[in-house]
Amino acid sequence: MTATAHKFFSPARIGAIASNTLLELVRLKVFYFLLIFALIMIGSSAFMVRFTFAEQFQVLKDVSLGAMSIFTWLLSVLATAMLLPKDIEDRTLYTILAKPVPRLEYLLGKLIGVLLLLLVSTLVMSAMFAIALYLRQQTVIAETMRTTPPEQVAEAIRNIKASTFTINLVPGVITIYLKAALFASLTLFISTYASSWIFTILISVAVYIIGHLQSTARDYWLASGDAGALTKIFLAIVSLIFPDLQLFNLIDDIVAGNAIAMAMFLKTCGLGVLYACIYLLVAYFVFANKEL
Amino acid sequence: MAEHAISIRNLTKVFPIPFRRERVVAVRDLSLDVEPGQVYGLLGPNGSGKSTTMKIVLGLVPPTAGSTQIFGRDSSFVESREEVGFLPENPYFYKFLTGEETLRFFGKLCGLRGAKLRERTNELLALVRLENARDRRLGGYSKGMLQRIGLAQALIQNPRLLVLDEPTAGVDPAGSREIRDLILDFKKRGITVLLCSHLLGQVQEICDRIGILHQGVLVREGRLEELISIENQTELILENSTPELLRQIEADIAKSGARIVEMRKPQTTLERFFLEVTSDKK
Ligand SMILES: Nc1ncnc2c1ncn2[C@@H]1O[C@H](COP(=O)(O)OP(=O)(O)OP(=O)(O)O)[C@@H](O)[C@H]1O
Ligand SMILES: [Mg+2]
Repeated sequence: MTATAHKFFSPARIGAIASNTLLELVRLKVFYFLLIFALIMIGSSAFMVRFTFAEQFQVLKDVSLGAMSIFTWLLSVLATAMLLPKDIEDRTLYTILAKPVPRLEYLLGKLIGVLLLLLVSTLVMSAMFAIALYLRQQTVIAETMRTTPPEQVAEAIRNIKASTFTINLVPGVITIYLKAALFASLTLFISTYASSWIFTILISVAVYIIGHLQSTARDYWLASGDAGALTKIFLAIVSLIFPDLQLFNLIDDIVAGNAIAMAMFLKTCGLGVLYACIYLLVAYFVFANKEL
Repeated sequence: MAEHAISIRNLTKVFPIPFRRERVVAVRDLSLDVEPGQVYGLLGPNGSGKSTTMKIVLGLVPPTAGSTQIFGRDSSFVESREEVGFLPENPYFYKFLTGEETLRFFGKLCGLRGAKLRERTNELLALVRLENARDRRLGGYSKGMLQRIGLAQALIQNPRLLVLDEPTAGVDPAGSREIRDLILDFKKRGITVLLCSHLLGQVQEICDRIGILHQGVLVREGRLEELISIENQTELILENSTPELLRQIEADIAKSGARIVEMRKPQTTLERFFLEVTSDKK
């Protein structure tokens, strides 16, 4: 063993920590929340009969994507907030860092573990959503066949199909995932210096609220015309530290059936990844000098 | 100059107490060396800075002043941990992992994989006698079992140095004796051991050299034999001696001008007695 040189960056070590983190979360039975999501999907279908078919799809998309967005975000914050404090409290961190594991690899492993969890959850929820959408589509088609004059059926079905599975669902789901990933990184960063997980969660929630309100606030202040230099600087700082979360919210556009501009979508993705990386880096700087 | 296994130079560690002006000096200007192949015992009352010293040596806690090295590599570098196994005091591991998964996890952190990792895991589970519990989660392990899985984990990459913080805390006498025998075995294989323990009897049995810390200051340090032997006394234990013989010896002693300090029936130790009573008579 003595001859092997130390690797400064070892994917195997990061992989070990990441899979261990995922295993921890799985054995904590966090995936059970998916059942709640399934219940929401089933429940929302119960109210559908009163709407026109176009409205039905809109409601289904609105409810499903909204629930997905909240759930992945909540999962990301809750799961990440407990990881570090638990390792520190149980002293498992001592045993890990007493092995030749750089602290950056430890953090990265934890983050990747959460990202995997989020990925699996997002995929499962997307699949549930797709199934619900498909079932609804079939019901609506069956109904249309009964009620529409035969010469218009083909046209009607084409309309229905065009308004169920639209291409902009994909960027919608991706931005939901990216927002959750960004929050995983942010929460990890907060938990490197927070003294308790409650504090971590509170701060994450605060950032969530600020992130959602800031564009509205900015528009309001700047539109009212009386924004002084100080206000402008304040707003600039806020928008630098906190990501503008409205960018990640494509649900309204998707529900309304608006096309999502590719450039805008890519910019949002880039922003999400950038913020996640910055938070991770800051987390590392705090964690590297932390007394355990 | 030969490389020290551990070298500690003028180490000081001060913990600030949050929200107050006081500070705790956990370790004060400590210097000591552990040579390769030695079993070094760090002793001292509760709160004397033993665990703190170990954590600094392993780079888990940064020193306030001074430096520590492992095989010539400064503790602040991750590479210095390549050849060390550490058993923390009250070892806690992931409760959701089984014994086997725990060893595999730590093995992977040390760069082991595949057949080699599997082999090493089995070997160590056998060594610490946890083969029957390999598929049980650590949440259900007893304190002694945790201590043993901790020891196995520390050994996973075949390190040249072991740092053991109270390896026998909470372990029953038989288990504690096993751990003692394991340490003696490591010593035979040339592994350096730094350990701290409150069981002075055991320390006396296994350590070559000891250091005694008191309130963070190293008050005594040296080879165990030299520190505790009483140069002008000799112990004599007889079996089946007759009263006449004893009387004669006493008379001879009186004639020679020496003095009998104490004369008594030796007792078996409580440890030996306990082991005798609880051992499976098979
Ligand atoms: N993280 C910390 N923050 C503040 N003070 C600490 C910290 N860790 C240790 N101390 C203090 O440093 C001193 C030495 O502690 P240490 O744990 O090294 O003692 P020890 O010799 O291992 O004792 P024991 O035999 O009880 O294990 C104690 O006074 C302790 O309160
Ligand atoms: Mg201690």
